[in-house]
Amino acid sequence: MRVLRKAFGDDLVRIGFGLVGTGFVALLVLLLLGLLGMKVWKLFAPYGREAIRAIVGLVGVLGFVLFNALLLVWAERKVAGHMQRRLGPKEVGPYGLLQSIADSLKLLGKEILTPRFVDRPLYYLAPIIVFIPVLVAFVVIPFDARLQVRDINVGIVLILAFSSLNVIAILLAGWSSMNKYSLIGGIRSVSQNIAYEIPLLLSLLPVILLAGSLSLKEIVEAQSKVWFVFYQPIAFIIYFICAVAETNRTPFDLPEAESELVAGFHTEYSGMRFAMFFLAEFTNVFIVSAIATTFFLGGYKGPVLPGIIWFFLKAYLLVFIIMWFRWTFPRVRFDQLLNFSWKFLIPLALANLIVTGWCLKL
Amino acid sequence: MVAEQLIEDIRTSRPGVEVKEVPYQQRGYWFDLSAGPEDIEEVARLFDRHGYYIEDVCCVDFKEYLQLVYHFNHWDDPRRVSVRVNLPAEEPVVPSISGVYEGAGWHEREIHEFFGVHFENHPNLSYLFLHEGIDFYPLRKEKVPVPEERKRLLSSLPVSESDDVFFVNMGPQHPSTHGVLRLILKMDGEYIERAEPVLGYLHRMQEKMAENRTYLKYLPNASRLDYVGAMSYNLCYVRAVERLCGIEAPPRAEYVRVIAVELNRIASHLLWLGTYLLDLGAFTPFLYAFDDREQILDLLEGITGSRLTYCYCRFGGLYNDVDEDFIEGVKAFLKRMWKRFKIYNDLVTGNVIFIHRTKDIGVIPKEIARRYGVTGPNLRASGVGYDLRKAEPYGAYRELGVEVATGEKGDALDRYLVRLQEMENSLRVIERAIKELPNGSYRVEVRKLKPPEGDVYFAVEGPRGEVGVYIVSDGSTTPYRLKWRSPSFSNLTCFPEISRGVLIADAVSILGSLDLVIPEMDR
Repeated sequence: MRVLRKAFGDDLVRIGFGLVGTGFVALLVLLLLGLLGMKVWKLFAPYGREAIRAIVGLVGVLGFVLFNALLLVWAERKVAGHMQRRLGPKEVGPYGLLQSIADSLKLLGKEILTPRFVDRPLYYLAPIIVFIPVLVAFVVIPFDARLQVRDINVGIVLILAFSSLNVIAILLAGWSSMNKYSLIGGIRSVSQNIAYEIPLLLSLLPVILLAGSLSLKEIVEAQSKVWFVFYQPIAFIIYFICAVAETNRTPFDLPEAESELVAGFHTEYSGMRFAMFFLAEFTNVFIVSAIATTFFLGGYKGPVLPGIIWFFLKAYLLVFIIMWFRWTFPRVRFDQLLNFSWKFLIPLALANLIVTGWCLKL
Repeated sequence: MVAEQLIEDIRTSRPGVEVKEVPYQQRGYWFDLSAGPEDIEEVARLFDRHGYYIEDVCCVDFKEYLQLVYHFNHWDDPRRVSVRVNLPAEEPVVPSISGVYEGAGWHEREIHEFFGVHFENHPNLSYLFLHEGIDFYPLRKEKVPVPEERKRLLSSLPVSESDDVFFVNMGPQHPSTHGVLRLILKMDGEYIERAEPVLGYLHRMQEKMAENRTYLKYLPNASRLDYVGAMSYNLCYVRAVERLCGIEAPPRAEYVRVIAVELNRIASHLLWLGTYLLDLGAFTPFLYAFDDREQILDLLEGITGSRLTYCYCRFGGLYNDVDEDFIEGVKAFLKRMWKRFKIYNDLVTGNVIFIHRTKDIGVIPKEIARRYGVTGPNLRASGVGYDLRKAEPYGAYRELGVEVATGEKGDALDRYLVRLQEMENSLRVIERAIKELPNGSYRVEVRKLKPPEGDVYFAVEGPRGEVGVYIVSDGSTTPYRLKWRSPSFSNLTCFPEISRGVLIADAVSILGSLDLVIPEMDR
């Protein structure tokens, strides 16, 4: 970089990068168009409904992600406010509902600062990567019996595989920021996510054994009579603890522990880049709640009301509980957090899995 | 008694040291020792052997010579002993006593940069408050230029190539240093190898200001030192001047002072409670605590006219009398506050995460507390029931008495519990004071404030520990020298010791549990 800059000067390098970048994007678009033109079109010709479904689903997911994040930001502030004997936002719109829209507009309008010594490609990449798993997860979540973008037979594997990407994004952000606090935050995040992904998976496995499928829809259908939370209360509790840890929420919000690390991995991010991390966090909170609903609380199953309303009721109840945690508990210490997972949660989850397997065999 | 034994020992081993007994009621200390520079190390060692703790070290410039004044006090035999060492004005050199009392090291650094006294064998004689651009020693009476080689800053800690460490500058802008404290942390991963605090970001040269204005004009400055427990500083300064001039405030004023100070103490502890839990990552208790604190601020605003930096105590009494509204308001507050402790206990005290974050964290053993001069709730948490309201009762505390809360181990949890207990004790004191509030005038007329020549030390128990002021008067209307002993300063001195080898998260927990107020340290 430095050599280039010396040879051509700052502006030329910038223009060069701009040209290369534009070319790259153009190439991507062309490739996509080519795919659409050549293959996808042909493939989906007999299944026209499927193609439309995919496109509508993706647009719907994008819309929902944004709407959900705005709603959750508002809800969190309201919940916090009422737990702390104050009102929370109430000026913009009825009950302050439009507050988060105003905030996001403000964030959009802000200048995006890039600190001087950051590792630029990685620094730019991190907020984009953090958003990918968020979008993918929604594709397989069954909101209702017929409201699901794609019912993939390995649905849960897809979600978990992609949510691991989240760690990479946070590590990239922490590493590239050239800030010691960010670095500590990023490294904490990696060890935390690795530690808690294992019990998370182990707590989902008994449910998969019970349902006999990896497809989220079939798991929900298997709970027609009794919710799995009654068969697997321990697994549910383990899952919920791990979910809070995976989403970096208090009491496990160590990667961004304010009083220790200023803002952790996103210290150096401002404007819309910061908002991407923020959006991803809130969407992740919803996703883990949605998975918990699907796996343990019978998903969209429920009497009288339509399925979608049941689904959102259950999911948002869990989201509320996560918020409740945040405004009640202090933060745990880092070594305590890791010990809790390795020494307590993982053995417990394993034992639970073995007992479940044994019971099923009988 | 300890003091007599100590004097005996000093007389036998160091016959050159001159010992005088002085009237406590006028001077604020019992024994006055004059030692030569060659004696001071041995004298300090004797003090250490008899279990004295270091209160303060200060320097007075008498133009022809400089005088170092060391104050020592004892927990069980609270009779203050002051030791004077005269030094030549040209090239003053004295052996450091930081080998005996580590806490004195910081006071010596302060004197080094403000007066130019060189302390021999000091491990780290670098600037604590000032920046390197200073040209003259600020507190000297005459213009004495700073030699270039003395402008030493704590710019870097030595690190060798093979060390697998890195440095983090925590502060001066960091959410959990509560103001502008800067800590240089030498880190090995997330473990702290060494912590070195750097002060001075809020330094306002309060002591120099005192030398340039009359006693009366300096009055509002006192409470600016500590915006959280302003009433204690106000009271300390007023009482010191009263002692110097021999003014007696009427009993009603003394009772109201106690009520005001104790209310302020509760407000300070509440603020600490909120911000400490904020440091530990719990946001909600903060707002609960501030809700209660707000009630106190409203009450105090009613009588003092200000919400934060009060100037309520005046020489010989008070700014104005309390009325029925205030008394009723205090009664209502007491009633409310007694119910609130249950909320705090439910929300915080029993929480498993909170206990894990504070138990056995930042233990201050008694020995360390003594050598560093830790006072206040931090000391009492270590199991020492030393409280100036009881040890050297002043004002209405003589009649009212006060219960002293003590902890056992001296960890962060104990400090938390002691402070909660102290709030309850303060409520009891206020209850009694309101019940027994005497009638009569609330101030005596003080016509002209011109104290006689001499010096005085006065200390009150502030929310953070011993708030002390040492005033040297030359018989004029302005103080010749005024030195604050701020509790946060002495309490912070032990931080590098107790934070060695802990995680960064624990360092935040320890720092918060010490209850530091930065403007009071920086003065």
